[in-house]
Amino acid sequence: MAIKYTIQGLLIYAAMAGYLLAFVVMLSRRQKAGHGLFLIGFLIGCVGIAYRWFDVRHIPLQNLFEVFLCLGVLAYPISIFCNRVLRVGGVAADMLIGVIVLFLAGFVFSAEPQQLPPALQSWLFGPHVLVYMLSYILMTKAAVQAIVQLSNKNTEGAILAPEDATYRMVCAGFPLLTLGLVLGSIWGQNAWGDWWGWDPKELWSLASWLVYVGYFHFRYMFGKRFPRINSLWAVVGLVVIIITLLWVNLSHLFPGLHSYAM
Amino acid sequence: MMQEAGLKNRVKRLVLWAGLLLILLLTVFSIYGAFIGAESAKGFFNSIPMSAYWLAFAVLLISAIAIFRRLLCFRGLFLIHLGGIIILAGGIIGSQAGFKVQDKLSGTDTIRAGQMIINEGTTERALELEDGVIKMLPFAIKLVDFKIEYYQPGQLIIRTQKGEGFKISAEPGQKYVLGVDSTSSPQADLGSVEIVRRFDNFKLTREGDKRIAIEDINGGPNPALEVRLKKPDGSETTRYVFERFPGHARPDDNLQFSYRRSIKDFLSDVEVVKDNKVVTRKSIEVNKPLHYGGYLFYQQGYDSDAGRYTVLGVTSDKGLGIVFLGYILLCAGVFWHFWLRHIFGDREMED
Repeated sequence: MAIKYTIQGLLIYAAMAGYLLAFVVMLSRRQKAGHGLFLIGFLIGCVGIAYRWFDVRHIPLQNLFEVFLCLGVLAYPISIFCNRVLRVGGVAADMLIGVIVLFLAGFVFSAEPQQLPPALQSWLFGPHVLVYMLSYILMTKAAVQAIVQLSNKNTEGAILAPEDATYRMVCAGFPLLTLGLVLGSIWGQNAWGDWWGWDPKELWSLASWLVYVGYFHFRYMFGKRFPRINSLWAVVGLVVIIITLLWVNLSHLFPGLHSYAM
Repeated sequence: MMQEAGLKNRVKRLVLWAGLLLILLLTVFSIYGAFIGAESAKGFFNSIPMSAYWLAFAVLLISAIAIFRRLLCFRGLFLIHLGGIIILAGGIIGSQAGFKVQDKLSGTDTIRAGQMIINEGTTERALELEDGVIKMLPFAIKLVDFKIEYYQPGQLIIRTQKGEGFKISAEPGQKYVLGVDSTSSPQADLGSVEIVRRFDNFKLTREGDKRIAIEDINGGPNPALEVRLKKPDGSETTRYVFERFPGHARPDDNLQFSYRRSIKDFLSDVEVVKDNKVVTRKSIEVNKPLHYGGYLFYQQGYDSDAGRYTVLGVTSDKGLGIVFLGYILLCAGVFWHFWLRHIFGDREMED
């Protein structure tokens, strides 16, 4: 863990401060100010991404630092979209998710610029990673709603009941998760000559996709009869996503074709 | 009538439970496969018990479409399940086991996957299969030229004996003050370095009594940097840093130098030769394979010492089109069912 004494680092810390202040202000029930601070944090994060893009001369989604910077910035537009279009609340939780994700980018992962290796020079690089990032944020929001449901918290006044909100978030994220898997497979065919290579990252991605397939299947079979089990599926899904995103790349247990994404 | 409805419901319930079980099993198998590594996982998922599993999965998906009217009524759900069946079919056709069965039935001996090593300027038909057997392609591949491109300008990496490192852009004219070696005791001023010249193919020649470094336009590559090291007492020394001999240091030196360049791309200019005629030409790069005669030729490796030969991975395209068709159907179904039907107001189902 290290502090980044660079312009890039300062931008991340400023965005984090915006999100954190927004969260504190939201807790004190000053919604308008909270939303304003959330927006400021997002705009600073956008500047951070643009700065990084200019610095490395390619779309900044190559390594964990860049991916987490992107995830932190995506937290705002997805939160707004979910609130206004999908009618799923949890804006304060989104702010906290943004802080946690940016913390990892700001303090944990190395920001050393890297040049794109030949395998990553494909038109599929941006869409494949971006689609996955969007789905991961949506599935994280689904898991937060599921945890609220599991903790039996009083959700009076919430726009949508937590179990319904979880389902709606998984419905929003699942097509993107599917598209990410399919784009990765097509890319694998072009780069490595095989549409499925049984690489650890591929298998963990398949496992995370299957957990959500299981969720839909279970919910179709039993509806809302076992809401706690429904929620448990969504939480397990997030755990598998975290393993896919972090453990597979950081651990030496899973050497494979995706090991450049450190 | 009542009995028939009861039986139908029991069958439906059985199919649903079997589906859930197979999904759970595949999740567990995937996680297990991730732990055993890609090569072992490939063997595991192509084993006879797993072949039975894939077949059971395909049969279950087909029976689900036959039994559940809901799947036929709702476009998205139908496409998702149909896509799944087609992907499985494509996968089975293109798998090791699938090839064996097809060869047995048709009496042929088709090539599934292998690799070719081709020297620059030569033509090759031989293909080494995964099991080490050599087979011949019905056409030949000629490697006209092999090129490696690097990101410019590369980096000069300097390390002190205690491991402190500096990275300097290897641009001629670039000067860098190294400052104080904080790891040494007493702390020593390391002076400064200047990149004087960059060579693609370094060579030393004699000019009278003097040895001079030149850029040799003939022969293999020998990338190097000429570096001027200025010590705090004003003395200057010249060093040559070679990409192929990283970490080189003189015995009296407290600094180690390395020259590193990152590969931007490597590409093979090839010609496909059939019946002594060139039928097609292509520059094969990573992400840009050649598709010819039912095979995909992709850039797998190269001669890292001298760049004189290329390694092409070769895979059959059998089942590939079917898998991609399945992908299209799966994605269309998923996006229609979860997103688009809500936007376009399709009232086929309420959740």
